[in-house]
Parts: sequence; C-alpha cells; structure tokens
Amino acid sequence: MIQEFTNTDDILKFAINREQESIDLYSGLAGQAKNPEMKKVFASFADEERGHKKRLENIQVSGQFKFNESQIRDIKVGDYLIDVEPHAGMTYQEALIIAMKKEKAAFKLYSNLAAKVEDPLLKSIFESLAQEESKHKLRFELEYDEVVLKDN
Amino acid sequence: MKLKDIITPFSAWSNIVKKPVTIKDPLNERPGADRYRGFHKNDVEACIGCGTCEAACENQAIDMVPVDGIETTKEDSGLRPLVDYGRCCWCALCVDVCTTDSLTMSNEYTWVSDNPDDFRYIPGVDKKPWDNSEKGWKKPDYSLYDPKRVDMEEIEPDDRISNFIEIVKGYSKEQAEKEADRCVSCGLCIATCPAHMDIPGYIKSIRDGDMEKGLQLLYDTNPLPEICGRVCTHRCEEVCSIGVKGDALAIRWLKRYIADNVPFEDYKRILGLDSLPENDKHIAIIGAGPSGISAAYYLRTLGYRVTVFEGKAKPGGATMYGIPKYRLPMEMLEQEIGLLEEMGVVFQFNTMVGREIKFTEVYTAYDAVFMGVGYEKPYLIAIDGEDAEGSIQAIDFLRDVNENKKPDLGHHVAVIGGGNVAMDAARVSRRFGAEVTVLYRRRIVDMPSDPEEIEGAEHEKVHLEPQAIPTRIIKDENGKVKGIEYLKAEMVADSKGGRPKPVAIEGSETILNVSTVIGAIGQEGYFEFLGTEFLEKLEMNRGKVITKENMETTIPRLFAGGDTVNKTADAISAIADGHKAAKGIDELLQANK
Repeated sequence: MIQEFTNTDDILKFAINREQESIDLYSGLAGQAKNPEMKKVFASFADEERGHKKRLENIQVSGQFKFNESQIRDIKVGDYLIDVEPHAGMTYQEALIIAMKKEKAAFKLYSNLAAKVEDPLLKSIFESLAQEESKHKLRFELEYDEVVLKDN
Repeated sequence: MKLKDIITPFSAWSNIVKKPVTIKDPLNERPGADRYRGFHKNDVEACIGCGTCEAACENQAIDMVPVDGIETTKEDSGLRPLVDYGRCCWCALCVDVCTTDSLTMSNEYTWVSDNPDDFRYIPGVDKKPWDNSEKGWKKPDYSLYDPKRVDMEEIEPDDRISNFIEIVKGYSKEQAEKEADRCVSCGLCIATCPAHMDIPGYIKSIRDGDMEKGLQLLYDTNPLPEICGRVCTHRCEEVCSIGVKGDALAIRWLKRYIADNVPFEDYKRILGLDSLPENDKHIAIIGAGPSGISAAYYLRTLGYRVTVFEGKAKPGGATMYGIPKYRLPMEMLEQEIGLLEEMGVVFQFNTMVGREIKFTEVYTAYDAVFMGVGYEKPYLIAIDGEDAEGSIQAIDFLRDVNENKKPDLGHHVAVIGGGNVAMDAARVSRRFGAEVTVLYRRRIVDMPSDPEEIEGAEHEKVHLEPQAIPTRIIKDENGKVKGIEYLKAEMVADSKGGRPKPVAIEGSETILNVSTVIGAIGQEGYFEFLGTEFLEKLEMNRGKVITKENMETTIPRLFAGGDTVNKTADAISAIADGHKAAKGIDELLQANK
C-alpha cells in the first residue's frame, strides 16, 4: 500500500476519497433513519465531512499544505465503547459512537501510514491528516461528554 | 469676675476693622473620627444587588438602579444602591444589614458642590475621593441575622439503612419561625426559581403565622409543594443573599413546613377550588408527571375540562417511580393527585398514548394537547459486557423497588454515574444489604447530584470512587456479572472553559468484584408514540423538543414541557413548564374563539 503514495497528490486523492466515503455513509444513515431528528443529525455529520473534503480539495488546487503543528488532545471517550452496527432506529448516542469510532479509525490509519513512509514531506502530511481526524474525533467526543455523559 | 471678662466684649469690636484672614482648606485639619459614619462606599464587585440596604432605609434614601457593565445573573440582580444625601441621615443601618459586607462608609463628611444632583450618586460606581479611604463605619462584628441555618433533624444513618422511612423529619413551628426570621426578603431567589415562586412572600407567612396565606402563595405557581418541599433541587438556595456570608436559608424545608402544616381537607377551601369555572374546551395531557399535573391543575382552574393519559398504573412520573420513598413518601403524591381528581381532572391510568390509544385520535379529539412524557429511555454505558445478567438500569431498578419488588443484588453493587439517580440507586441498594461502590468519571466536586444526596450516600457507607472510567463488565461462565473493570482518570482542563474532562490513564486497570452493575449515566426522551406523520413535524435539537415561549411545539396545538424540553430536567422546572403551557393553551384558545 505504501508504494501508492509517492507524492502529495496521491495522499490528497486518498484522503479526499475517504472523506467522500464518510459523506456517503452518513448520507445513507440519514436516509435510513426512522426518526426525523436522527435524519438531521446524520445529514449534519455528512455536511461536516463535506467541509473536510472541500478543505482537502482546496489544498489540492492551491498546492499549499498547511501543517498542523499543535497536538490535539485525545480524551479517549470513544475508546472503550462498544461498536455500534448501523440500524434504522438509531439513537443520538449510537450516532455519536459511530462517528467517534470512524474518526478514531481514520486517525489510526493516517498515523500508521505516517509511521511507515520514510519521505519526511509525506510523513508530515500523514501526521497532519492524522491530527485533523483527531480534531474531528474530539468534536464528537466533546458532544458525547456533554450530552450522553452529562450525569457521568 | 476677672477684669478681662469685662473688657473682652468691647475689645472684640476692634476685629471689625481688621483685614479678614482666610485659612486654606481648614477642614483637612479636622478629620472625622476613625469610625465616623461619613460618605458611602461600595465594593461593587462584592455587592450582589440584593437591595437589603434599600429595604432597610427608613428615609427611602436608597434606590437600587441598573449600572452599565454589571450584568444581571442568577446570583446578582445587576442593580446597585444609589444614595440620596437629600434624604440620608447617615444612620448606617444600610451598612449594618448589608448581606455581603460590600457597603461601608468612609469617615469623610465634607462635600461641596453647587449642583444638587451631585448628591445622588452610586457608591463604588461614581468615583469619589473617599473610595479608598480605610477609615469610617464598617459592619460590626456581630450580625443582625443568624448566619447559621436551623438544622433539619434526620433519622441517623444506622437507623435508616434497613428501611425506607422518610429520613427528614421536618421543622417544628419554633424551628420554622426561627429559620424564617433569617430571610431578608431580597427576592434574588424568585428569579432563580424556575417557577418564580414568591419565596419571600410565603416565608413571611410563616413569620406571620398565616399558613393559609402561605399555602395560597405556594399554589399560585406550584401545585406540588409537598413534593417540591422534599425533593426540589432548590437552586433558589444557591443564590440566597444571606448565603454569601453564612448558611443559605432553608427555603425548601420552609416550603415543606407550610404544605405539611395545613390540613389537607382544608386545601380546597383555602385555594378557592370549591367552585371552579367551566367551559366547553377539552384539553388532553399526555403523562401524569410533574409537568402534566401542573398543566392539568392550572388549566382546570381556568375552567377547562382536562383528561390525563398515563401509561402506568399510578401518577407522578419520575417522582413516583424514580424517587425512593425515604426521600418522598408516596402518600404525599397520592394526596396531591387526589386534590386534582376532586377538582374534576380525569385520570386515565394504564393508558399509554401510542399503545392503548393513538396520538392522532387524541390530537383530533381535544382542543389542545400537552405532552409531558419525561425521560424514560436510559443511555447505555455502552461498554463490553453490558448485556450480562445482573447489569441493569437505575430507572428500572428504582421503579421495581417503588412497586415493592425485592431485587436480587448479591453482595456488591457498582453504580455508574454521579447524578441524583445514581445516588438514589446506590442508597436503595444499601437498604437491601449490598456493599455499594459508585464509579464516577469525574471528581466528586463535579457530581451533578445534590450535595446532600452525596453526603447522605457517604453517611450510609456508600463508597464513592471518583475519576473511575468503566471499561468492561466481566461475566462468569453463566453470563452473570462477576466484576467490572475501570481505568483511573486524570482531569484535563477544558479549553473552552467547560467542566474538566476525565482522560483514562492507560495501564491503571482495576477490577472490582461485583454481583450487580447499575447504569445511571442519564436518560433521553422517547417520541415514537407520536407516529411518523407527527414526528416528522416535531422540531427537536439534541433530543430536546423545541417550543415557543408559550411551550407550543412546532405542531400546532401540541404543547410540551418537562425533562424533554428544559435543560435542567428537574421537578420544579417541569412544574414551571406545565404552568407556562397552561397559560399558553389558554391564550391560544381564547384568541381562536
């Protein structure tokens, strides 16, 4: 897999495809959800992913990759939660678990890729993408902490 | 008589022809005494705008006025005293009664201005030369009111741990009057109470010995005072002005005192419920919890016919099924429901909308509908092993116990959570002889439970394990709970200023051998009973129903209140919602006449 990433453009294409997969996933869940509020929740998650995709596309066009220097705090809220299988009657809690797990998986993927590539530029880009996913995960974890874990 | 005494009156005439002598600023040489009652100073940061100074001033020389840059908050009216030196007699009573010790006096006593308006000023805001003066009158060491509240008698932990007898005994007449005497009637509590109860008013009725007036004031805004007098979250006490320097007034216990000391058979007469108006409009209430009961009471007093649909066999919602009897004896609730039935409110128990009757039928048949369905669906802990036998939810457990079912808890219970439901589950478990450990992700100080519930739990030997994050429930070979694993947590600051976040410390795994795990991390609403057609029209945000100010939802004629609407999710907020909705329904139906 590493050999596919020989330059920045390869990485960006890969990352953009992943964001598109997320958009498709959340859009699908929005269509599948029975509860109108959950439809809106998933639609808003899809919109967030569109924003992430757009950001990457802008980088692709401009060629300007801004490296994220700051480390995002991992509060590990989702780390010990069970996996949730998507279903039509999903609750807000389940939706947030899916989103946290997804962002965590993306973070791990980019972190692993960063560890494996040797080119310093590509490594930096992967690390930066990992940080970006970590930021997305944190956003969902904070929401989970505020809404679901209010009494905990 | 000396010769000088005879000559002096005549020699004094010689001064007439002398050139006048002016001494520059002579009064600097004659400062006021160190404790002189001179011009006022006020530490506006410490002042909470309670207005006790204004109320105490016999000359009406103080007005509480808004001040630019000082916001109105729960703990602060945002007003500050303006002193009028055309009226002030410098008696210093305003300083002596100040609840925060912010108001003082300098020892300055001269102030020259040709503009009379200058002598009306806001100490501490309108800058004056004496603002930093150390000297002058300050509040004496003694206090005009007792800083210590009258203790509430309770059954001792060893005597209560084996039963469900109500723990709090209630005030005697002497105790209630003594406690009521501490109130300065500032009214900060009124704004904080979600129902905006006339707290100073009903406390005054205790001082006056007029319980009937007190009961009327309670029912003006709260038709469940016996309940709130026991289990209210009493946020009013958090802003009590005498609580700044002493113990906050025991507002909740005083409310209970009134409700407990008026014979129930006199309620209808005292509240003027013997003869209520009647109109031809019929309102449906879904859910007989605090918000539904409140809406039903006020709608009935306005003349509406009211029918309450309740899925369970008894009314009360979370108060009946979720609060243990040692905090709220059931007869209190049944008594208050009895009053509504006597008023003509019809209760249809065991009739769940969406199960026994369709929502669309209710919506079509009634002129307006109020929905107070509460939080019925618990959040899962969502960790591995939660499906084990012996892993249960607190709201199911508490309901079963209140229905006199005896749970099989085993030797050791782990309760997950830090709210009132968690404390209730823990303390009820202790009453069944189990050792109890509460695992809470944050610090004890962060627990959302009422402090007295936490204290009560500790007195009953519930072990609190803070900064503990459950990671999995361990099952035995039969799939039954055998233990729970948790990680210790470190607290990290929230960059946005929210409460600190617990972060699991890798490698700190600890296993607790337990026989039961009770999840009490929170609940959410359940709205599927509305059916798809209505559900699609119901605007919600993060599980909360969106309503207008009058509590009407995005579905016309459907009003809502209680836990599924407000952020605080407590009984008093639900009661306030029910009252607001009753007014909203009345306004809507009157406008549509």
